[in-house]
Amino acid sequence: MKKLSIILAFLLIFVACSSKKETSEKKVYKIGTDVIFAPFEFEKDGKYVGIDIEILDAIAKAEGFEYTLSPMNFNGLIPAISSDQLDGAIAGMTITDERKEVLDFSEGYYESGISAVVSAKNDKINSADDFKGKTFAVKKGTTGSLYAEDKQKELGSQIRYFDDSPSMFQEVANGNADITFEDYPVIAYKLSLEKEPTLKIVGDKLSTAHFGFAVKKGQNQELLEKFNSGLKKIKESGEYDKILNNYK
Amino acid sequence: MLELFLKSLPAFGKGILITLEITIFALIFATVIGLVVGLINIGKNKIFKAIAKIYIDLVRGTPLIVQAFFLYFGMTGALKFQIRPEVAGIIVISLNAGAYMAEIFRGGIQSIDVGQMEAARSLGLPYSKAMIKVILPQAFKNMIPSILNQFIISLKDTSILTVIGVAELTQSGQVIIGRTYKSFEIWTMVGILYFILIYLLSTVFRKIEVKLNV
Amino acid sequence: MISVKGLIKKYGNNTVLKGIDFLVEENQVVSLIGPSGSGKSTLLRCLNGLEEATEGHIFVNSSDITDVKLNINHFRENVGMVFQSFNLFPHLSVIDNITLAPISLKKMNKSDAEELALQLLEQVGLKEKAYVYPNSLSGGQKQRVAIARALAMKPQIMLFDEPTSALDPEMVGEVLQVMKNLAVKHGMTMIVVTHEMGFAREVCDKVVFMADGRIVEEGKPQDIFDNPQNERTKEFLSKIL
Repeated sequence: MKKLSIILAFLLIFVACSSKKETSEKKVYKIGTDVIFAPFEFEKDGKYVGIDIEILDAIAKAEGFEYTLSPMNFNGLIPAISSDQLDGAIAGMTITDERKEVLDFSEGYYESGISAVVSAKNDKINSADDFKGKTFAVKKGTTGSLYAEDKQKELGSQIRYFDDSPSMFQEVANGNADITFEDYPVIAYKLSLEKEPTLKIVGDKLSTAHFGFAVKKGQNQELLEKFNSGLKKIKESGEYDKILNNYK
Repeated sequence: MLELFLKSLPAFGKGILITLEITIFALIFATVIGLVVGLINIGKNKIFKAIAKIYIDLVRGTPLIVQAFFLYFGMTGALKFQIRPEVAGIIVISLNAGAYMAEIFRGGIQSIDVGQMEAARSLGLPYSKAMIKVILPQAFKNMIPSILNQFIISLKDTSILTVIGVAELTQSGQVIIGRTYKSFEIWTMVGILYFILIYLLSTVFRKIEVKLNV
Repeated sequence: MISVKGLIKKYGNNTVLKGIDFLVEENQVVSLIGPSGSGKSTLLRCLNGLEEATEGHIFVNSSDITDVKLNINHFRENVGMVFQSFNLFPHLSVIDNITLAPISLKKMNKSDAEELALQLLEQVGLKEKAYVYPNSLSGGQKQRVAIARALAMKPQIMLFDEPTSALDPEMVGEVLQVMKNLAVKHGMTMIVVTHEMGFAREVCDKVVFMADGRIVEEGKPQDIFDNPQNERTKEFLSKIL
């Protein structure tokens, strides 16, 4: 019985410590990002790099705040923000009206849009007219999945959901699904790195959108202001363009 | 909350159907695999026994999610064939549950008094007939609690198949949250739905057990 | 009918049967007696192949059990066995216990087999128990059913491995009576491992005394019981009679 009480005591202390918010000391923000979404965030030599990561880092330095990075599957980010597990997220997240119902976004920091992507060997799908009846692979919680869902009825298509971009791309490359919808810069970056691409883009951009830094609606407003202010600063100083150039 | 539930019901319904479909098919295959491998492990053929041991050790020594990824993304890519994720799901769960069922069968059969087999063989019954008519019927009654347990475990295991794109119950929850952002409500509902499914399953099995014991 | 020559049985380094020569004629009733560990059950179990001989030969009606080419299942249809712990099949009714083997091995169709089963149950005095399950029977009743079950295959030889050792004293008599009827009225060839010396004396044609894995002495019941020659035999008998 004594051993049990000691173990319980340790557990309670552990839980208390991990949920303690730093009120007296300087706040360290917990900021989430996607596990893999190159060139915006990805792991290289044990560290996280990418456009989002470098922008966040530059802004944090310019505005003088500290943060820790929490990579997780994209579809976990918004729930984590909503339940106060994260203070914010930068993850190639498109600003949409639906998301604005639960999040507050910064100014758009990157222009994007969705493209349709098929297997490099697929010569049957050449434009949006060929989407009918095909199988779509999408990533849970993304605007790509929203696009597929909106079009599903009219195209009579099947949708398969995956947790991350690599699984989604693999599905199309393997031939188990016909099309995926991904942010244009991501697929363009992936294709630029491959000597023998397994995928290809079909047609023009299907939409135009902007990425934004997100916080919980009505909260962490000072963090949001710092992001906007910092973004302005790094754009003026030319650092923003430098970061983007790193990933061309 | 009720409105959210009613709106989500069709999606949940589809998810439940897929969950049940995969579980039932997988368990039928797993029972066959389990019986065959269990009998091999009781028998005397050393080569078959070695193969069976490798199979069981591999399944028990790797996480189910890794097995799912390996089969669906790894093997299909490397060997260049296509299967539907649900089929891959059935295969993965069959092989997984089959390994555990093999141990259940082996234990169940070995728990039957050796005198039963001796009496059956002494009457002139060959090993196979003695197994089918005398040993297995008795062993099966003893194994029902363990088989039910595996049924429940496998049903819950199907939730992992969301990572290979299977539209089972857990994934249906994820997709709804992706659109509505109502994590707490949706996960509560999904949890309750799983609970009801498993409760119904347990009740059916318990009725079977009672009937067999009478 | 049964001819055992130079039978040796080892379990690893332990030699349980150290060279047995043993003969049983047709219609003979033979009892194997001796202290525990003498190898009598092992010898009995070698006779229907439940134990495999390490060395030596066992001929039953010109079939050599020790020959690997022998179809042991066919062989066993002809040799019935009754066990100390009955080994009835608990999931089958009494009549199904008896008809299982004849029907499965296609010796008979269902109605013929059931008719035979009821006859055999009558013979052992349990016809009214045909449709109950073994767990409702007493020990003596179970053993009588076990005897009927073995007889359903119409064997030429019946082996009994301490058939009454697990029974309460009041029930020993009913089983021994069945066995006596089998020997006397039906002329069955029987080999019985037993401690029931009364049965051995009254019903058996030959008594075989074993100790330490060997046959020490054998002969007619009155010779063995009243006039044992060997010291070891005398020692054993003095302790139990």
